[in-house]
Amino acid sequence: MSDILKIEPIDNWLKKNNWSFYNHQVETVKLSENGFDVLLVAPTGGGKTLAGFLPSLNDLINNKSEKNKLHTLYISPLKALTIDVHRNLTSPIEDQGLDIRVETRTGDTSAYKKNRQKILPPHMLMTTPESLALLLSNKESKDYFKDLKYLIIDEIHVLVNSKRGDLLSLNLSRIHSISPDCKRIGLSATVKNKETVLKFLTSKNKAKILNIKETSLPKIEILETKTRVPWSGHMASYAIKDIYQKIQKSSLTIVFVNTRAQAELVFNKLWQENDNNLRIAIHHGSLEKEIRRKVENLMSLGKIDCVVATSSLDLGIDWGGVDLVIQIGSPKGISRFLQRIGRSNHKFDEPSNAILVPSNRFEYLECLSAINSIQNKLLDETREKKGSLDVLAQHVLGVACSEPFQVDDLYNQVINAWPYRNLTKTKFLEVVEFVKNGGYSLKHYEQYSKIGLNKDKLYAINNKSVRNRYKLNVGTIVESYMLKVKLGNKTLGQVEEWFIEGLNEGDTFLFGGRVLEYQNISNNNVIVKSTSHTHPKIPSYAGGRLPLSTELSIEVRKLLSKKQFWKNFPNQINEWLKLQSKFSNLPSLNGLLVETFPRLMSGKKRFFLICYTFEGRNANQTLGFLISKKMLRIGYKPISFVATDYALAIWSINEVKDVNIVLNEDLMLDDLYEWLEETPLLKKNFRDAAIISGLIERSIPGQKKTGKQVLFNSDLIFNVLKKHEPKHLLLEVAREDSYRGLIDLDRLSEFLKRIEKNITHKKLNRISPLAVPLILEINRQTIDKSEMEEYFLEELENEMLSEVGLN
Amino acid sequence: MKLINFNNHKFQISKEGILFWLDKQIAIIADLHLEKGSSFGPSGQFLPPYDSEETLKKILKTIKDHKIKKIILLGDTFHDKNAISRMSEKVNFLFRSLIEKYEVIFILGNHESKFEIGQINFLNEYVIDDIHFIHEALQTSVFQISGHFHPVATVKSNIKKITAKCLLHTNNHIILPSFGQYTGGLNITNPALKPFVNNESKIYMFTKKSIYKFTIKEIEI
Repeated sequence: MSDILKIEPIDNWLKKNNWSFYNHQVETVKLSENGFDVLLVAPTGGGKTLAGFLPSLNDLINNKSEKNKLHTLYISPLKALTIDVHRNLTSPIEDQGLDIRVETRTGDTSAYKKNRQKILPPHMLMTTPESLALLLSNKESKDYFKDLKYLIIDEIHVLVNSKRGDLLSLNLSRIHSISPDCKRIGLSATVKNKETVLKFLTSKNKAKILNIKETSLPKIEILETKTRVPWSGHMASYAIKDIYQKIQKSSLTIVFVNTRAQAELVFNKLWQENDNNLRIAIHHGSLEKEIRRKVENLMSLGKIDCVVATSSLDLGIDWGGVDLVIQIGSPKGISRFLQRIGRSNHKFDEPSNAILVPSNRFEYLECLSAINSIQNKLLDETREKKGSLDVLAQHVLGVACSEPFQVDDLYNQVINAWPYRNLTKTKFLEVVEFVKNGGYSLKHYEQYSKIGLNKDKLYAINNKSVRNRYKLNVGTIVESYMLKVKLGNKTLGQVEEWFIEGLNEGDTFLFGGRVLEYQNISNNNVIVKSTSHTHPKIPSYAGGRLPLSTELSIEVRKLLSKKQFWKNFPNQINEWLKLQSKFSNLPSLNGLLVETFPRLMSGKKRFFLICYTFEGRNANQTLGFLISKKMLRIGYKPISFVATDYALAIWSINEVKDVNIVLNEDLMLDDLYEWLEETPLLKKNFRDAAIISGLIERSIPGQKKTGKQVLFNSDLIFNVLKKHEPKHLLLEVAREDSYRGLIDLDRLSEFLKRIEKNITHKKLNRISPLAVPLILEINRQTIDKSEMEEYFLEELENEMLSEVGLN
Repeated sequence: MKLINFNNHKFQISKEGILFWLDKQIAIIADLHLEKGSSFGPSGQFLPPYDSEETLKKILKTIKDHKIKKIILLGDTFHDKNAISRMSEKVNFLFRSLIEKYEVIFILGNHESKFEIGQINFLNEYVIDDIHFIHEALQTSVFQISGHFHPVATVKSNIKKITAKCLLHTNNHIILPSFGQYTGGLNITNPALKPFVNNESKIYMFTKKSIYKFTIKEIEI
């Protein structure tokens, strides 16, 4: 193949290592040479990254390019990946003594180096979407990017439907206006809607998808254990002994979990089993960067036997020696699972090995469905997302920081970005007004406008400090306020402020695999000490609890509805389902099974209503709120509900007789809008939008603020704005984000349409087998938190009054 | 409404956070921070400029049902020296109707000190029947009603912690919550408030719907 491809130095380097070019690498170069933008879709380990760089390397080696001009830009969603790719690329370049300078630029890059890169650009620059936005806001950015020839976007599929993707897409469109001939190459894992990803990558007609199929299917099995799969729970403690044995038989295992709390617990339990002194490490997003780097380093050196990790190890980096992936709990989505499996045997033509460990009975069905899906080559759909207006506001200011713009020109540039293709001119002008002075009908801030028309009738920033402030606020990720965890002088990592608020002095918790005792907070540090406690209070801090994907949900319903699939189930699962079908009904593929039964709760008779929707936790939660509201109105007196990925259980004082009325779509959506306005979710989304759009700054220089104060203030602003300008741009953004996010409105309305006139109501006289895990789920949602607060305060006050004899 | 006996006088607290001395036809309010929202404007943060309107309307609405003649504002009425000049026409109108309808006593707050603000005459202190109205509480034994600290308190339920604005009554001190729409709070566990919190303290917490009275035992320290 080297005859076709004349990139001798690279070819030589490959030969030296006994490698040769893959077909798709050659193909990528050819397409790019012919002027195509290319989306390369391939499983991990297929030499994808090199394929992305080959056209650029080819051009740099064979055509004399100008010195000190930026030739190639590489963008990745992960800082760590830019560093890794930099290292991998430097190897052939140094080996062959090529005169190609490759550098990284991220938030961690020193000011000195950044400055030097400005004056003396490398040939190839590796960066992140945020750092790119910063680069583009410089005054000299037009000059800097005008000779750009190649743009490579790695892991592009994870960016497509996110606010980060919106920001990147806007900046890609901007680069296109600066250097229209620049060619683009997108690198993506296997996804269902490749066409969408391609459109996100480029608006050119001359664009092609190169789809590299997996040569061998991964080997996946469900862990067989001597113990029974528990009814409920998420920690899979029952299987630790068996997991440990699997780790022992492999040389390097990654144990993936879904939350940080799971990571800590599983890590702890594995060490309790660790009689053979295996080297087991832990890796998650809250741990201090140095600690994470150390673990990664030990992995690549093969000095470790097992790593327990969250999604922090999901993407990109090639770990070489991993030969087994164990997933604890359901992976919740097919694509995500594939990505994780791909961490093992990072070689193109060998199958990966993976073991699934369901942590409860429903998850067993889910795991089985995931395996079936992968065997049948099904993939999750990436839902498309409309470009967010808060991100656009940030971008508009960024553009003004780099150079004055004409409104029509910028509008045309913006609608060239795929997520914003349907943006109306009116909306765009509204965003410009917002950037100018907040977009209020009351013209209060005219005199302080950030941008204004200059003498050439172009919008420009009104003073230099606008640019400096913009630079402090770039990005679309709004993190909750984090506190450093300090053991003596050593920083162990970070935890969310709200988690620590829930602790009292002397409480113990698991962190970074140690049991720590909380002492106090001083100077925004959480001071802890080591303790000999063996039963810590488990950290329940959030992280990566994704709802069951639509595709996986369909597969689970299929499994349940057809008895012929059951013969391979373990006995306990098989019997559970058989009993259910005898006692009640099984959920059908397209309808909805609803059960009602009475049951004693704290000594009182309550009526339960169970809906087996399989629509994911978020949609079920929303449904729970809506049905409760309806029940309240009809007079069923609902008390509370529990939502899982699979079902929803509501209990009430009165019996629900007519299920159809309660589940009527039209009646429910009316309540939704009203309810949403009062949820904390909307306030949280408003805060994020206010920060992304620049209404509230991340940190005001010279002013020390804790995250909590920012939250407090944004709530006050939210209330006032809602009253005075209910249609304000940022409220619109917050509402849209809420519908899309946790509420999962689309999925819910699809569901309601699907089940219309297809509801099976089973009136039972006691709990059904399928309902058992639900009733065991303790994660209780109250119907109205603010009501609860009032009740609680009243109660506490009454208690106190009777104590002093006044009541 | 909750009743407080303070130096043998009867005071009432409204759920909005205004202290009434009805025998004297007086309303007492702390820390309005008028035009706090617009004060971020010059630095390019355009917060919704409706906080002053909200604050003033709430005062007018709350006191109109009582026979009030005099209002004592306990300082930090204006967020900064340019607050009045930034007021919208509507806010200006509301502010005027307040000072025309009632006799308003302006106590000098730290946000107003050293500045000339319009024609307003600021007092360091105002005294009626041995009760001193000042901005920041002093550690003396005279009876004082003050503001300044924006006190908030936290109580813990088995569901979650609730933090809300509060009025603090300890011996010879009443410290009022901040009334302004955009004002944040300082927890009464903060060292700055320590001299004014002890076992005798009564804490009145304000929620949207009501006022709740606690002793220091129920409060998260």
